[in-house]
Amino acid sequence: MAQAPVQTIHRDPQLFYWILFPITAVMILTGILRHYATVLMASAPKQLDQKTMREQRSLLHGINVRTNFHTLSRKSFNARRDALTAAYESGAYLKDPERRGQAPPNPMSDPSSMEGMMGMMKNQMAMVIPNTLIMSWINAFFSGYVIMKLPFPLTIKFKSMLQAGVATKDMDPRWMSSISWYFLCIFGLQPVFNFLLGSDNAASQMAQQMGQMGPQAGQMFGPGVDPDKQFLAEAENLAVIEHYSVLDGIENRLLQGIKA
Amino acid sequence: MPQSAELEIQISPIVQESLVHNSKTLYNLQSLTASLFGVAAGILGLESYNGFLFYIICSLLTTTLFYILRVAAPSSTTSKSSGIFDTSRYFKSSSSINFEFWTGGLMNGLAGFILTWTLFYGLVRA
Repeated sequence: MAQAPVQTIHRDPQLFYWILFPITAVMILTGILRHYATVLMASAPKQLDQKTMREQRSLLHGINVRTNFHTLSRKSFNARRDALTAAYESGAYLKDPERRGQAPPNPMSDPSSMEGMMGMMKNQMAMVIPNTLIMSWINAFFSGYVIMKLPFPLTIKFKSMLQAGVATKDMDPRWMSSISWYFLCIFGLQPVFNFLLGSDNAASQMAQQMGQMGPQAGQMFGPGVDPDKQFLAEAENLAVIEHYSVLDGIENRLLQGIKA
Repeated sequence: MPQSAELEIQISPIVQESLVHNSKTLYNLQSLTASLFGVAAGILGLESYNGFLFYIICSLLTTTLFYILRVAAPSSTTSKSSGIFDTSRYFKSSSSINFEFWTGGLMNGLAGFILTWTLFYGLVRA
């Protein structure tokens, strides 16, 4: 066989109505259902008490002043720096001023971090279960025949995956069974979900979000870090800064801009 | 006083939220048009290489139109534009020609393109 002949299989046109459209409709609907289920099941954000909030926010304030000091004039920067440094060193922002020298609570026993982990596991479960169910439903009802032809050729190796129920040797890998239509839909319906549900929908970007959320939460709010030491370190950072402002020399820049 | 490049960034800072919004807009546009091009390719009955070539050409055309109609006009009035294909006013890029802007659409929309292409190829060819 020099050139493989084009294999055309004459198919029942009703095939489309009974197989393609139902699978596509089911996948779109379960995606939407999953999105709304995630929205409804999401627990409300935990309400921290005022002292804890003040402790965390004051540290953020110090970091912001350190990063953006160039937007302030010298006088306002000095005022902020003096106020913050005095407060940090006297421990005025601490949650429990009596426990200043002691070790912070153990992160595993601290109940505030458990709820974060449960939330992530719930999201993962919401993603995995519907996909498994749909895959088993398709294998039960729609196996044993090919549905459609891919417009582009594939290698022989894909045949075992894409033509799951049909055991022929010579059929072109371009003919696919319904399970391969299912796989195509998983990847290809993400733009549709984006379009229907807005961009932060819960139906498609789970995998990306899982990877990104992991390393971020650690650094400052993890219960294993001592806030007193953080305050003192921040006070030292603030004291070291050599201040300049973008407002210095602004008259020259303005004149140069006008001159041209 | 720091050097002039750093000072430039401090005088006109780059707002992260705006950058994210710009790239999200571009992403949405490219995904949507990729799916529509899949419909066109399926109806036309294009086969393997022709189909992908069609996709690449049309995706680049979409990005060029987006650039001409939205990005080029305000950029040319600022003093920093470097050459005719400058997207630095709206998108942050690591090199002077912003490859991510022009070619990112190909990767983003590929899944949607293949899905609608297969669907309509099967429907129309029958």
